[in-house]
Amino acid sequence: MSDLARSEAGLNVASRAPGGRSGLIAVARVVSLLLILAVWQGAAGAGLADPAFVSTPAGIAQSLWRLLADGELASNLGTTLLEIMIAFAASVVCGIASAVVLDRNDWLNRIISPFLTAFNSMPRIALGPLFILWFGIGIASKVVLAFSLGYFIMLLSTLGGLKNVDRDLLLMSRLFGASGLRLFRHVRLPWALPGIFAGLRLTLVYCSAGAVIGEMIAARSGLGLLVQTFSGRFDVAGVMALILVVAVMVMILTSLMDLAERHLLAWSKGSTDVPG
Amino acid sequence: MHGLSVNFGHVHKALSGVDLTVHRGEFVALIGASGCGKTTLLNAIAGLVPVASGLVMVRNSPPAAGRRDVCYILARDALLPWRSVLGNVEYGLQLSGIACEERRRRAMAYIEKVGLLNHRDFYPAKLSQGMRQRVSLARAFAVGRSVYLMDEPFSALDSQTKLLLHDQLLTLWESSGTTVIFVTHDIGEAITLADRVLVMSKAGTGVVEEIQIDLPRPRSAEALQADTRYHDLYRRAWASLRASTE
Repeated sequence: MSDLARSEAGLNVASRAPGGRSGLIAVARVVSLLLILAVWQGAAGAGLADPAFVSTPAGIAQSLWRLLADGELASNLGTTLLEIMIAFAASVVCGIASAVVLDRNDWLNRIISPFLTAFNSMPRIALGPLFILWFGIGIASKVVLAFSLGYFIMLLSTLGGLKNVDRDLLLMSRLFGASGLRLFRHVRLPWALPGIFAGLRLTLVYCSAGAVIGEMIAARSGLGLLVQTFSGRFDVAGVMALILVVAVMVMILTSLMDLAERHLLAWSKGSTDVPG
Repeated sequence: MHGLSVNFGHVHKALSGVDLTVHRGEFVALIGASGCGKTTLLNAIAGLVPVASGLVMVRNSPPAAGRRDVCYILARDALLPWRSVLGNVEYGLQLSGIACEERRRRAMAYIEKVGLLNHRDFYPAKLSQGMRQRVSLARAFAVGRSVYLMDEPFSALDSQTKLLLHDQLLTLWESSGTTVIFVTHDIGEAITLADRVLVMSKAGTGVVEEIQIDLPRPRSAEALQADTRYHDLYRRAWASLRASTE
């Protein structure tokens, strides 16, 4: 027995993590970024590309600095961030809650699912002007627009995760005497977690897009409003600087989520299916 | 427990008129051709399938899923992939309402019994099939029920790992004094483990032959391979099994 245990342990030790290269990869990333920026700047400088259309990295940096210096960025970024966070939180809470309800009530799911599909098929962006009409030009209309995108993503990904729970795990738990609530807490929810995390990431991206696009239609403040103003002035560098800000903001939020995911889904990483 | 009696007919005629009595503390193995209703019989005892007619009694009360005195070990290990070995063994105890500290203490003791103490923090995905099934055994025996129902728990294992697990199961069983009903299609496995091997008819009408396994205990699965009595019993069971399918 101990021989077998030892050889099994050996197999597990053999599955080493692919570390050590991460430093090299980071360097390669920075080099690639600098290369792209240099080519861009060089092309504009040599007259190969018209800075009036594509701007230049230096021009974008300048616009960014100006936005930061006069405090315009901070206040508008605050508005957009607030809209995104409200819409994101509402999408996550409502999306997961409705998925749980629909998963447990098959008849309700069967009644409602065509309506959900229909609403999800609508181009929500095109509804933007209507949301402005209904909810005003304040943050409410942007939150609603962002929510209308995020909610369905969250609902569908959670529902997908809950759907194909391993029957053996449910049966085993039931045979050990688990109640319905415990089945949910210990089997269904953890099982759906990878799906939920995939949904969270997409929901964040779509909520951000929804908020910014809503602001572009009509708003009192926000990054989308600034984008609209700058593109009205043909200030390409300004528009690109703002897009960069949105991208960085979403990336930061996403990496926070990755951190949580790495912690919660540690079990799903690095499986070595050793037979015997 | 005063033994359980099963007399029942199934709606789809999976089983009809089956009689079976298992005594307290006995290890009974059910063998039979595939489709003879071994698992259905086990499921009926576990309360997973409704009984169409007849009477099933487990320790003087009708079967029900999730009973506190019965434990069912499935063919697949059914470990929660998001819990470590320790977490999985604790899970059974947790569902049985054992307090946290006691849970940890008992789980560790049973993990040690199946020789996985060094692997207690591993997730199931990092374990081999044999190790997973050992975790499943530890989880089941840690809760200390009176009746254990096992549905081909070792069918996915290679023969060498199987022998190792037979010894571990026997050790766990001998120290627990529980009743075991073990379904298998492996004759050798049935003889190695059981006090009594019941051969079921292919038609689902119940037990056609009962073979007493009078091999002395404690048994060693490996030593039995060289035992002539083991091989005599094997031949007898094999002949009976063949007769049951004709």
